[in-house]
Amino acid sequence: MKSRITTAAIGAVAIAALAGCSSSAGAPAGSGGAEGAFEPSDVRMIVPFSAGGGSDASGRAIASGLESATGATITVENREGGSGAVGYSHLHAQAGNPDYLLASETTLLSLPLTTDVAYDYTSFTPIMKLGDDYTLVVVPADSPFQSCTDVVDAARGEGVVVAVSGAISLDEIVFTLIEQDQDVTFDRVPFESGSEVIAGLLGGTVEVGSLNPGEVLGQLESGDLRALCSLSEERYEYEQIAEVPTAIEEGIDVSFAQWRGFIAPGGISDEARDYWIAAAEEYVASEAYTQYIEENLMQPNAVYGDEFVEYLAENSADLEAALAE
Amino acid sequence: MLENLLLGFQTALTVENILWCFVGVLLGTVIGLLPGLGSTTGVAILLPITFAFEPVTALIMLAGIYYGAQYGGTITSVLISTPGEAASVVTTIDGYQMAKQGRAGPALAISAIGSFIAAIISLVLLIAVAPPLATIALEFQPVEMFAVMILGLVIVVTFQGGALIRGALMAVAGLLVATVGIAPGTGEERFTFGNVNLLSGIPFVEVMIGVFALGEVFYQIRLGAAEPIKARFKDMVIKRKDITDSMPAILRGSGIGFAFGVLPGAGSTLASFMSYGIERRVSRNKASFGKGAIQGVASPESANNAAANANFVPTLALGIPGGATTAVLLGAFTIFGLQPGPLLFESQPELVWGLLVSFFIGNVLLLVLNLPLAPVFAQMLRIPYGYLYPIILLTSLIGAYAVSNNMFSVWLVLVFGVLGYLMKEVDLPMAPFVLGLVLGPLFEKALVQTSAIGQGNLGVVFESPIAVGVLAFAAAMVVVPKLIRPLRKAFAGNRERVGEDAGLF
Repeated sequence: MKSRITTAAIGAVAIAALAGCSSSAGAPAGSGGAEGAFEPSDVRMIVPFSAGGGSDASGRAIASGLESATGATITVENREGGSGAVGYSHLHAQAGNPDYLLASETTLLSLPLTTDVAYDYTSFTPIMKLGDDYTLVVVPADSPFQSCTDVVDAARGEGVVVAVSGAISLDEIVFTLIEQDQDVTFDRVPFESGSEVIAGLLGGTVEVGSLNPGEVLGQLESGDLRALCSLSEERYEYEQIAEVPTAIEEGIDVSFAQWRGFIAPGGISDEARDYWIAAAEEYVASEAYTQYIEENLMQPNAVYGDEFVEYLAENSADLEAALAE
Repeated sequence: MLENLLLGFQTALTVENILWCFVGVLLGTVIGLLPGLGSTTGVAILLPITFAFEPVTALIMLAGIYYGAQYGGTITSVLISTPGEAASVVTTIDGYQMAKQGRAGPALAISAIGSFIAAIISLVLLIAVAPPLATIALEFQPVEMFAVMILGLVIVVTFQGGALIRGALMAVAGLLVATVGIAPGTGEERFTFGNVNLLSGIPFVEVMIGVFALGEVFYQIRLGAAEPIKARFKDMVIKRKDITDSMPAILRGSGIGFAFGVLPGAGSTLASFMSYGIERRVSRNKASFGKGAIQGVASPESANNAAANANFVPTLALGIPGGATTAVLLGAFTIFGLQPGPLLFESQPELVWGLLVSFFIGNVLLLVLNLPLAPVFAQMLRIPYGYLYPIILLTSLIGAYAVSNNMFSVWLVLVFGVLGYLMKEVDLPMAPFVLGLVLGPLFEKALVQTSAIGQGNLGVVFESPIAVGVLAFAAAMVVVPKLIRPLRKAFAGNRERVGEDAGLF
């Protein structure tokens, strides 16, 4: 109890100081303005997936970054189920409560497009996109394929068996986009996670997979799997995968990112929204953010607030086109 | 090899690492003990507190939680018929019967001894042949797993001996309940009635708590004020004969558990009931299975521990998690800046060998911890039911809520508690139901994948020699006992004359 009072006091001092700095000119972009300032208490960060997965890792990273930035205590709650629907529905029910946050990613957009849920991205207040995670097209070391063009050519000829991890997963989407762009069809075998796909590739059940660099780096470095191309706009700068050409270089006009970030419930005050945006900006400037992004081989394309909403609108339209097939 | 072991001992035998190994196995035992909290959740929750540690220390502690939970899960299975861990469901069958007969102490002790022996055997295998084994494990692709799942179903159906039809009925009911939720592969919603809580299906842990814990409590309440089990202290301590009788079951359980643990995704739950199912067929004491056979506790408990260790074969050698808990552990590797993958043995020898050696230390600690505690825990049954049942009800409901922070789980537990009670009333076996539910999603996934590989033709199963072998074994499980029975009768006459094994048949 005592420590909470101390924290609140420090927070109040910090806000007063900030308000002092940005004295006259307009509303400060920082911690929510001086009067009627939003002060978080007992914050929950919902992770709509089980503990231990990629969403859980990003949720915990964001929560600890925001804790350092705000001094508030943020408890991570895993509310898994329904491919994320349970967690999002829970946040949906918290409309107007600025002490709830949710570690979000592409399922925010894909679930409402494919499943009968009561919300879509406009039901929430998007705060920050943390960064992007693209995928690499990978094959076993002894595969005859040397480039993504080889894979497409084979799909045109005798057929290629690709791995997908779920009906609305990132790899399902990128393979569909390649099919649409190149007018070919892949044979699919469904798996349930990236590591299952790796086992399927190593065991020879599937010929081609599409995986996040962070998921597959161990097998790439050992030489068990090879990366043919990356489905990103530009080549990666991480030295381990800098040599991998993009699909676009090979004439396959496909790039698609899974984004990660966090959102707040709908209907919260502008002060609360600005408060969280300011906290997010502070987190992105920290060492912890850079470390998270680099460990997961992601792209640090952070955007906030309105810009994030615009991004979601575009991304949702792209997804709809890909899933319409 | 020897060099590596030496390196491992150097790493693991520091005061700090032994201390955290102890903390890990102790926490694991407690986590395994609590219904609802399993090793996967336990490791994930406690992961953040290890951030300040050296990577190897953190992983030693987290792994300790994992295999410690396999020991702890048994205690409530035996004492109050409430499995603390999924891998201990099968242990309730004979373990609880033993407790009712006042033999809870030996049941707990044999489980600790069996777990220990299984752990040591599987560790030796893990250290000696992990990389080549991992390559063999990769041969088990969806088609082969489909055959393994059919074998699993056959074993579940024939689980409780005589009542074949009842077993089959309950296993099918379990499979049907498993179809609720989003379909694997296609993504269609099935039987969700617009309820988002049902999108991911009926969760197994809630069903387990409901059917076993609440079902048993409701049933006992209906029976009325039963006397607490009166056991003399003499009966609480395990006898030499118990150990020698259980040894074949422990060894078989270790082998079966290890084999299933190596397969990515199969996990220790599958291993434990496969082992029980097979033991029931081959044990010299098969007649008393289901009525409190000590082998019925020794076998699955050895298997789940062997499987927990074997899970590290694909995890360390290939960077592919063997089960849910090792998946969380692999995530922890990344957090500590270690790249899990096939190069781990070469790039981080100190970490890998230190971790493996710490398993030895952890299992010794667990044995030392659990063996003397077995009679102590068994004393719990002296608590009058009037006090014990409210405690069980309360911990069950809190456990259910803790699984997902969701009241829906609590309602599910209550619904399945009533169902469990009804099953007991009409004498339907519960284990096949719960195992059908566990197997359902795995079976369906393998079915969908196999169908996709064969482009709609399930005949591809017969193109894989491994799958054909597994299917032949499954067929043998059904056919051979029917053929053997008349033969055995002929033999039995001879045996009695010689006087061999007279008491056992």
